[in-house]
Amino acid sequence: MKLNFSLSLKLTVMVVLVSAIVIFSLTYINIEEQAISLENVYSDKAVTLSQALDTAIGDHDELTDKQKSQNYILNFSKLNSEILKVSINLPDEEGLKVFVSTDMDSINISSSQYNNFSYENDAVVNIPIHSGNSHTITVITPINLSGQIYGTYEMLLSMNASYTAFDVRARNLVMISVISLFILIFSFLYLLRKIIVKPVIVFRDAAKIIGEGNLDTKIKIKSQDELGELSNAFNKMTNDLKKSRNKIEEYNKILENLLDRKDEFIGQLGHDLKNPLQPLVGLLPVIMEKEKDPKIKEHLNILIHNVEYMRDLIIKTLQLARLRSPDTKFDMENLNLMEEVDNVLTSQKLFLNENNINAKSMIDNNIFVEADKLRSVELFNNLITNAVKYTPEGGGELTINAKKGKDFVTISIKDTGIGMTEEQLSKVFDEFYKVDTSRCEMDSSGLGLSICKRIVEKHGGRIWVESPGKGKGTTFYFTLKSANEKINKNL
Amino acid sequence: MVKTIIIVDDDPGVRYTVKAGIEALDENYQIIPVENGMKCLEFLGNNQIPDLILLDVMMPEMTGWETYDRIKENEAWRKIPIVFLTARTDRIAKDAGDFLAEDYIEKPAKIPELKQRLDNILKK
Repeated sequence: MKLNFSLSLKLTVMVVLVSAIVIFSLTYINIEEQAISLENVYSDKAVTLSQALDTAIGDHDELTDKQKSQNYILNFSKLNSEILKVSINLPDEEGLKVFVSTDMDSINISSSQYNNFSYENDAVVNIPIHSGNSHTITVITPINLSGQIYGTYEMLLSMNASYTAFDVRARNLVMISVISLFILIFSFLYLLRKIIVKPVIVFRDAAKIIGEGNLDTKIKIKSQDELGELSNAFNKMTNDLKKSRNKIEEYNKILENLLDRKDEFIGQLGHDLKNPLQPLVGLLPVIMEKEKDPKIKEHLNILIHNVEYMRDLIIKTLQLARLRSPDTKFDMENLNLMEEVDNVLTSQKLFLNENNINAKSMIDNNIFVEADKLRSVELFNNLITNAVKYTPEGGGELTINAKKGKDFVTISIKDTGIGMTEEQLSKVFDEFYKVDTSRCEMDSSGLGLSICKRIVEKHGGRIWVESPGKGKGTTFYFTLKSANEKINKNL
Repeated sequence: MVKTIIIVDDDPGVRYTVKAGIEALDENYQIIPVENGMKCLEFLGNNQIPDLILLDVMMPEMTGWETYDRIKENEAWRKIPIVFLTARTDRIAKDAGDFLAEDYIEKPAKIPELKQRLDNILKK
């Protein structure tokens, strides 16, 4: 259920973040706006109160009478419980100063707070202060005296009553937004499951079943949206896949049949070619032995050479066809690699000497491999013949070595012959491929290395070739399963 | 002393090659070509016992194996050495040939090499 979890989780986190940001921003803006409008209400109230005070004082000339002014504001401040402080600020030589105040203790603070106030400007100044549960606003209004600003009224109002009510409302607002956020998340999760996650699970399970090879699976999502379209496309894909698979299976059968027939044909052809070849192969050496005329002997030599080549081609083609056949069984036994290679080199001694090849085996006595004796001899013979064939007439060296790995023994056959280019290296195991068509056409069937590859692969090993380049020699490598000691399985 | 060898093969080319080739190399050999297993048994039935029989395996009507069995069933013929000469080179054929017969020679064979192997058997 990993898919279910992570898809929901990702989308939920995203939606929670977005909606939280939106809801809380809206809430914040709303509260801010209300707070500002509340301040405006108090500001208006203070202006109205100041105008009332101004009207009550009536004659501005009386303002300079400290005792009178003091009485005015003291009486005035008692009119409204929200009035915390009333001051009248008048100018002296230094500027605007508090002249009288209902709270003379805070004169200094008050004056220091507002001494920047320019009385030439007749604007109303609002200074709201919110600290903890205390919400106050200081409103300064100008006193106009015959068209000129003479001083200011300063009124400190408590907004606590309104703000307490406002706080409750704001708290409710936040609560409502949190609740609506949760409702949003849960309804989103529910819709997510119903609309996306469930169909996705249906698709996932269907894909799994199809992956296992059951192409009869159909998805039954009928919704008229993208998922419905996806479901249709999915079903069509499955159907197409089924058709393609059936076609491939059909072609496979045809191919298998053709391959069988090809091998059968090659087998039969090879067999039928052997009999008519018997008189040529059989009698030409007899004629050669009896013949005295050197000119005819030369002709015979060419005939024998070609007939031998044909014989080699037929035998190797048959061999390859047989190696490919699945019912070809190998007799696996544990072989001492050194002994086997020494035997091969001994049997090839004449051939190697004729071609001036100095062959040596560096294999240790304690390496054993699991292999079919006859086939491995054939493998070594083919690789040695190949190495000799591609070493110039002057002769060269041939080194056979073996390295024991964990499960496999890697055997190398290194020659000092004509070497190979990259292109040749890649094709050397292909059937009927010849490295040097001009030079070796008549000596090579082009099948020897294909046979080697077959033999090695039938043993569960791998064969490859390396060459530093043209003229620098070639090394063939192949692997055979490592065996621990010489225990013949047949015993 | 002249050695008599019967070559049993349905292919006239093979019969001719073996007869002409071996007789050309050595006058002391007499090769009797026979075209199938039945004819071979007929020949033996006339009390003409050869020194060796060269037997093809894949022949119509009676195979080389059957011919081999029929020869070995007869007390008087049992000791005649039999060599298979065949184009069949698969493992079962080779193992059976090696096991049953004196030798197993693959077609197409070079006559000098064939004669060498027959010489070795006849010397025993």
